Amino acid sequence: MSNTRKLFYGITGFYLFGIALLVVIFGFGHKNNSFQIQNEFKLINWVHLGVFSINRAVVYLFIAAILTIATMVWIANRMQQRPNKVQTAVEVLYSLMRDNITRGNMDDSLAAKWFPFLGALFLFIWYSNLIGYLPLPTNSQEKFNILGAHIPSFALYAATANISVPLVLAAVVFVVFNWEGIRSQGPIGYIKSLIPSGVSGGILLLIFPLEVISTFMRLLSLTIRLFANILAGHMIILFMAGGLAVILGLTFLGWFTLPFGILIYLFELGLVATLQAFIFATLAAIYIGGAVTHH
Amino acid sequence: MLTHIVSFAASGVGAGLGIGIGGGLGALGAGVGIGIIFGKVIESVTRQPEMRDEITSIQWLGFALTEACFFYGLVAGLLSYVLK
Repeated sequence: MSNTRKLFYGITGFYLFGIALLVVIFGFGHKNNSFQIQNEFKLINWVHLGVFSINRAVVYLFIAAILTIATMVWIANRMQQRPNKVQTAVEVLYSLMRDNITRGNMDDSLAAKWFPFLGALFLFIWYSNLIGYLPLPTNSQEKFNILGAHIPSFALYAATANISVPLVLAAVVFVVFNWEGIRSQGPIGYIKSLIPSGVSGGILLLIFPLEVISTFMRLLSLTIRLFANILAGHMIILFMAGGLAVILGLTFLGWFTLPFGILIYLFELGLVATLQAFIFATLAAIYIGGAVTHH
Repeated sequence: MLTHIVSFAASGVGAGLGIGIGGGLGALGAGVGIGIIFGKVIESVTRQPEMRDEITSIQWLGFALTEACFFYGLVAGLLSYVLK
C-alpha cells in the first residue's frame, strides 16, 4: 500500500473512530432551545450616541476603511521602478479595476471620471468581506476571563453581514447611475431611453412600467446579493462548526460536521469574498455605462 | 377543507416550511443555471483555447449573478419565517 493511501485510510479511520467514541461517551442528547442563531449577529451598543452609537459593525467599518486607505497609500508611496512582489500584486489589482471593471463597461471619458469611485468601492467591499473571516474579540454578550480582565469572546462577524451596509452602498450606486443618465441625456431623454427601440403604441403601456420597476430592482438586487452571500456564508460556518451540534444536543455531530465547516470557511474566504466585491463593482460600472447610452 | 387550510396556516408550521421551499426551489434554479454556464464555458474553451482568459472573466460574472437568484429565494424564505 502506498504512503498516500495509508495516510488517507488513517485520517478516515481517525474521523470515524472519533464519531463512534463520541456516540459512546455522550450518547444522544436533547434539543437545546437556548442557543439562538440570531444572537450571533446581534449588535450591542458599546458607546451610546443615539443613532451614531458605536457597536461592532461600526468598529468593523472603521477598521475596513482605515485598513484600505493605509495599505494602499503605504504601497503607493513605496513604488519603485523594479517592482517587488507586493507592488506587482497591487499593480495587477489596479489593472483589474481599471481595465476590466471600469474601461470594459464604459467609454474612456466616463471611465476616467468614475474610476476612483469604482476602485474605492471594490477595495472597500473586498476588505470588509475579508476581515469578516478574522476572529476578533467583539462578542460582548459572552465575555471570558484572562488574569481578571473580562474580554469579549472572539467571534466571526462581517460588516457586510448587516443589511444596512450593502443597502447604503447600493443606494449610492443607484443615485450615481441615475444622476449620470439624467446629466447626459436630460430628464425626459433618460426616461425615454428606458424604452427599448422599436416599441411603439399600445404595448408601451405594458413595457414602460416593467422597465421602471426593473430599474428600481437594481437597487434591491445589489443589496440582497452582497448581504445574503456574506450572511449565508457566516451562518453555514456557524452551523457546521458546532452550531448544529449545540442546537440538536448531539456531541458527535460537531465532530462530524467540522471538516465541512473548514471547507466552507476556505471556500468563502478564497472565493466568495473577492467575487462578491468584484461583482458589485462590475455591476455598478455596467449600470453607469448603460445609463449613458441611447437605446 | 377551507378550515383545514386556514388552521394549518395559522399554526406557525408554515414558517419552517417557508424557509424549506424558498431554499429548495432557489437551489434548484441556481443549480441548473450554474451548470449551464460552466458547461458552455467548457464548450467554448474547447473550441477556442486562446479566448480562455476573456471567457473566464465573463464566467465569474455569470456565476455570481446566477448564484444571487438562490439567495433571493432564501431571503424570501427567511422573510416568511420572520413574518410567520
